[in-house]
Amino acid sequence: MIEIWYAILVFVFTTYVVLDGRNFGAGALHLIVAKSAAERRQVVAAIGPLWSWHEVWLVALGGVLFVAFPRFLATAFSGFYLAVFLVLWSLILRGISLEIGGHIDNRLWQGFWDFVFTVSNILLAVLFGTALGNEARGVSLDSNGEFHLAFFTDFQVGGHTGLLDWYTISMGLFTLVILAAHGATYLTLKTEGAVHERSEWLTRRLWVGVCAGLVLITIETWFVRPEFFNNMLHRPLAWLAVLTVLAGGAAIFTGIRSRMEFRAFAGSCVIIVGLLVAGAVSIFPVILRSTLDPEHSLTVYNSSASRESLAVAIVWWPIALILASCYFVFISRRYRGKVKPSTDTQGYY
Amino acid sequence: MNPDFSNPAFWHRLHFAFTMIYHYLFPQLTMGLAWFIVFWKWKALRTGEERYAQAARFWAKIFGLNFAVGVVTGIPMEFQFGTNWAQFTKYSGEVIGQTLAMEGMFAFFLESAMIGALVWGEKRLGPRTHFLVAVGVAVGSWLSASFILTTNAFMQHPVGYAIAPDGSLQLAHIWAFLLNPWVLVQFAHNQAAALVTGSFVVTALGAFYALGDRHRDQARLYLQCGTIVGLAASFLVAFPTGDAQAKMVARYQEVSLAAMEGRFESGPAAGIALIGQPNVRERRLDNPIELPGVLSLLAYGTFHSDVRGLGAFPEDTWPDNIELLYYSFHIMAGLGTVFIATMALAVLLLFLRRLESTRWMLWVLMLAFPFPYIANTVGWMTAELGRQPWLVYGLFRTQNGMSSVVNSGSAVFTLIGFCGIYFVLGLLFVYLVGREIFHGPEAAHD
Repeated sequence: MIEIWYAILVFVFTTYVVLDGRNFGAGALHLIVAKSAAERRQVVAAIGPLWSWHEVWLVALGGVLFVAFPRFLATAFSGFYLAVFLVLWSLILRGISLEIGGHIDNRLWQGFWDFVFTVSNILLAVLFGTALGNEARGVSLDSNGEFHLAFFTDFQVGGHTGLLDWYTISMGLFTLVILAAHGATYLTLKTEGAVHERSEWLTRRLWVGVCAGLVLITIETWFVRPEFFNNMLHRPLAWLAVLTVLAGGAAIFTGIRSRMEFRAFAGSCVIIVGLLVAGAVSIFPVILRSTLDPEHSLTVYNSSASRESLAVAIVWWPIALILASCYFVFISRRYRGKVKPSTDTQGYY
Repeated sequence: MNPDFSNPAFWHRLHFAFTMIYHYLFPQLTMGLAWFIVFWKWKALRTGEERYAQAARFWAKIFGLNFAVGVVTGIPMEFQFGTNWAQFTKYSGEVIGQTLAMEGMFAFFLESAMIGALVWGEKRLGPRTHFLVAVGVAVGSWLSASFILTTNAFMQHPVGYAIAPDGSLQLAHIWAFLLNPWVLVQFAHNQAAALVTGSFVVTALGAFYALGDRHRDQARLYLQCGTIVGLAASFLVAFPTGDAQAKMVARYQEVSLAAMEGRFESGPAAGIALIGQPNVRERRLDNPIELPGVLSLLAYGTFHSDVRGLGAFPEDTWPDNIELLYYSFHIMAGLGTVFIATMALAVLLLFLRRLESTRWMLWVLMLAFPFPYIANTVGWMTAELGRQPWLVYGLFRTQNGMSSVVNSGSAVFTLIGFCGIYFVLGLLFVYLVGREIFHGPEAAHD
């Protein structure tokens, strides 16, 4: 039962990164791919009226943690206190700039919100990447099962770590690059005109950057968490995930070359899923590693809710998921097709 | 009792109270407004009259702005359980986590899928689908409330739980937890109060246009719908829902009831104070003007019932801010009474066909809209201050619930951060809503 909930947790997190990561990426490139006011609105329209549905996956993630791993939620969120609020504030700015940026047909107003939108998306991508870096590296969990993280300490990855060190920073930057690549691939698929041309140009270069970054991150992870690759070798599910990454890479490569944009975007989604699943499988069952003493680490087993609570939630959760997917299909079917440069200032074509 | 600034719990409570009260300014309107929009869309569909479609279109814009601010201020709330109240999350997470997770899964996915389509999709979706979308948003917002209130009801009156070997709470009976008697009453009371806010706002805008002699057709529609719903909702807030809520408090939180009324001595034929200031140090109510026997009646159904005062309970179970609790409760109850009177008069004038020409009444209605916001806020303060000193009533103290690793400084820092962001958000909101109001409802254009 606990394993099922871990799988659900990974599923929700992965879905969130694939869906909202594409918005972070497109948003981070907003000022680069779109030059005129109409093009800026076009990008917002491509992100579309379902962006808040994407963001709800983050709330759903919080929900899964609450119901299935309350001790992990409590420990991680209070330990990462300031970082969590930076994320929340960036989310507020991102949401507001999307919702009201197009509300007034005025160059200054829109220019300002386009800028806020870009900055908040870059921040979000880097912050989530840094969070992943912290998750992979571990934190200074003490014998009470608690930790409190400074923004940075000595930038080293062992002992009393900070939020930022050489490893988590490189994870943050890598995440920005891969989500930007993901977003650019999406914009190539979803737009036409000048935005399309620029996105396509960026897509080719960003994915090369991702390849280089992935090699670097792999080597770094080898140093930071040696048991990671050892676990990977012994778990067939991780091999499958690695194969998925390779398949995704092939889809992107061929998709870009032959201008099959849907294939490229699907490959981009698959790569992200593969990487996250490979990571999740390899760290299992430790969900928060202690850099002080492995004995203090939080595992899914010592941080989960009781069997009864998990059994109740497993009944209603899938029903809710099916309903949620129905709403998504119901609305998104009505917003199919490519987006042109828009004169509609709200941008939701 | 004075707030203890050196206690981190004070700052964590202020943090939650501020973000919560600010957040709830927006959902209370959208939950009320949602059904107005559904009603107008339905009328537009049935009659084909443009004025209904126009009203729905205009209010959907106001709704959209409120909804956007509601969403961005609401998402932090869920995460604040983990950041600021980690011990509480560890203690009760697997019980209240159920409803908090249900809210995300059942309500937020529904609302977030529909909201963009409601505000911007009228042309793209066609009238029938667009009506369904409006219903979806309304249902989603009320579902969301039901899950949050179930969570709160558990904190007010815990049921359906078991205590695990490590002392934390476990879910024992999901249906007992979901059908907590407390939540049935609280949901009715709270949603009626949201309808009060919605109807007062609709009425106020109708009065504003009528006074300025603009959009006459729309003004009439807003005044009609707003005052009729406003009267019904104001009445429902008091009776039966408010009355049932008071009886619930009397039954399960006796000491809170005593504190709400500033009642220190026990005895039969307890009165309610219309005016008076609780004096906790001297343990009496200063300058009271009381209606004798009414508290006994409200709490237990007869004029003579015995109502115990604060003195009958150990002091460490008293709510820790009796004065604020007392004033919150009295302001809520007083405003509730005024709402009924105001709306009853407005509806009377409406049926005499004199509402639109009675300018002083239009002024009153136009200026009345902030008061339901105040009433909702102090109503929630009554509920939450009355629950103190407990986080989970009778089981777990507020003092033990905060995050042990987060110091006062961090809590103050993020509180100030929220103040800054929410101030800017408030300015933007007022500016954009004001713009829509001055622009006014408009006919469909292609």
